[in-house]
Amino acid sequence: MNKLAKKYLRPELVPTKACQGCAIGSIEHWLLQAIDESGLKLEDVIFGAGIGCVGRQTFATWGGDNFGATHGRALAVATGLKVARPDKQIMLVVGDGDASSIGASHLVHAARRNVGVTVICEDNMGYESTGGQFSPTTPEGYVTNSSPYGMVEQSFDPCDLVIAAGATFVAETTAVQWRQTVKIVKMALANDGFSFVHIRFPCVQNFGASALGSRDPLYNMEWIHDHTKGRTDDGEETDFAWTTGIKHDASNSRPEYSKVLRDLNTRVRADMDAPA
Amino acid sequence: MTLTEGLVAPWAEWQETYQDGQRLLEAGTYALTEGAVAAGLGVFAGYPITPATDIAEYMSKRLPQIDGFYLQAEDELAGMHMCAGASLGGQKVMTATSGPGFTLMHDAYGWAIVNEIPVVVVDAMRVGPVSGITGAPGQGEFYVSRYCSHGGNIETIVLSPNSVQETFWLTIDAFNLAERFRTVVTVLTDQVISDMSEDLFLPGDYGDLADIVVPRRHNLEMPFFPGNNSDIDLAPNVIGEGTGVCVSPYTHTEEGYDIEDMEAQWAQTFRLINKIRHHKEEILRYEAIGLEDAEVVAVAYGATSRTVKTAVEEARRQGVKAGFLRLISLWPFPDELLEMDLLYLVCELNYDGQLVREVMRAAPDKKKVHFMGKSGEMHTVAEVCEALQSVNKDQKMPEQPFIWTEVR
Repeated sequence: MNKLAKKYLRPELVPTKACQGCAIGSIEHWLLQAIDESGLKLEDVIFGAGIGCVGRQTFATWGGDNFGATHGRALAVATGLKVARPDKQIMLVVGDGDASSIGASHLVHAARRNVGVTVICEDNMGYESTGGQFSPTTPEGYVTNSSPYGMVEQSFDPCDLVIAAGATFVAETTAVQWRQTVKIVKMALANDGFSFVHIRFPCVQNFGASALGSRDPLYNMEWIHDHTKGRTDDGEETDFAWTTGIKHDASNSRPEYSKVLRDLNTRVRADMDAPA
Repeated sequence: MTLTEGLVAPWAEWQETYQDGQRLLEAGTYALTEGAVAAGLGVFAGYPITPATDIAEYMSKRLPQIDGFYLQAEDELAGMHMCAGASLGGQKVMTATSGPGFTLMHDAYGWAIVNEIPVVVVDAMRVGPVSGITGAPGQGEFYVSRYCSHGGNIETIVLSPNSVQETFWLTIDAFNLAERFRTVVTVLTDQVISDMSEDLFLPGDYGDLADIVVPRRHNLEMPFFPGNNSDIDLAPNVIGEGTGVCVSPYTHTEEGYDIEDMEAQWAQTFRLINKIRHHKEEILRYEAIGLEDAEVVAVAYGATSRTVKTAVEEARRQGVKAGFLRLISLWPFPDELLEMDLLYLVCELNYDGQLVREVMRAAPDKKKVHFMGKSGEMHTVAEVCEALQSVNKDQKMPEQPFIWTEVR
């Protein structure tokens, strides 16, 4: 077993049951690398997961304390937990459905409050564990099992949403950018506030088959890589391109939510103690 | 079971024990806030809604004073999940809402119940469906509070107060049961009991309540989720102490790992249902009057029970052998209180008939169970008195305007 997995994961629960060619395992490995390089120990981090491919395949692999929330609500659970345990780092691994659809409201408000959590949004551009339906991050026009004629809605990037809502660290990367991802996650962990890391990764079984016409993992990886550059290796322009890298860095520029509440208590209690 | 005359609830004794304090004229929402504080509340998370809004306002003022935290959630879904998260972090927690918000909480209800997370939920019922009339009382969540999650395979604990003073004590009791049973306890109150102001005694020093308040403990070892086990008084699990506990929405192993296995499903269900069923006597709370000679028993809970009780007293003065049974613990349903083969008159604030169906199921003869439903406004003493007389004499309900009697 890999050294980092040995240090941080539960041997009986890895490898996960993720499909062949899925990047959830490698992304988790990179998260461990970032955690390790940040000097964090098992007991320093609480690991939370959402529902879907990402939640199910990552839940309980972490060797320390874990929670898997109901669909979309990991951020709401984490908000209460952070208030109760402000001394802990909370890392959440959620999917595009969790973050940008069913739990979008919690995402917006956790960002607004600057809740001290690191949200890793692993985006496979659809509801893949339920068989491959489109999500708000499926590129417009692409074929999925619930958009057989092409997805007709405009899609969006949850990074834009959390930047507008007040997140203090926001970055985007992909499953083909190992070093960049580790660097970004380390920066996210160093922000005592709301950090959002958007990581696109391929689903070869569903999105790959329906939208790209291929279950070849390398082809799927290449498709993602091309779209981070806006150009294929042959020099052809892609239909659209994602911007990756740090999108917003206001790390530690405003107080974290549970600290705001504790400061409020100090102020209120000082006023109570003051002579009338 | 032979019913005890008077009040059968822990606070029957608490009220005798605690006499030093202050007497106030305050609302049910205030009593509820203070009851929670007295029980050791650490975090309140909720979304304002009439008639529970005052609870949020009181909490926002009170909690910072005791180094607790008021979280105003983006919706009720978030509010109850925040509570569950804070409870896992080791705090006693509460949320409060009314019917429209209560339905949104079901997602979190199931999650908290399956993970055995202590949470106290207040539902101040108003007339529905949906938004209904915000300032009118209702009793439409009798079944919803029982079936507060999908998927079956659970038992729930629901308590209902009928006065401002009782709201204070019952709230402490709700927190105690949540800790002891490691589950969600619902306080099913209503617009009348939460909004109205009346006499309220509060102990002078909540520190004196240490003898009656169950403190939060932390379970630091396996098994985190004992299967096929109905023990109560187990310490709740905690996240943040490095125990390696796993909580999730899935059917779980004793470690909390998700598993798709029928043995695990059955072991989990045994625990969730039988920890409550096997200790039902620890939950039973009621008030009974006149049952030693009663021929007809009026059954009610919450606000409705106030006029019904007066009506029973009036009917007795008029020579009707009437009894009064007020349910305080609504779920698990107290079948044992309805074993006597008598006439029953069930009064509640809905036209569809909810409590009455359970009384029909539990009573020896369902043909002797009569229904008196009103919608949006209280039963009057005269109406209930007339009904008691008619049921006792002719075994049928009288025709009365805006009162529904049919249960289909």
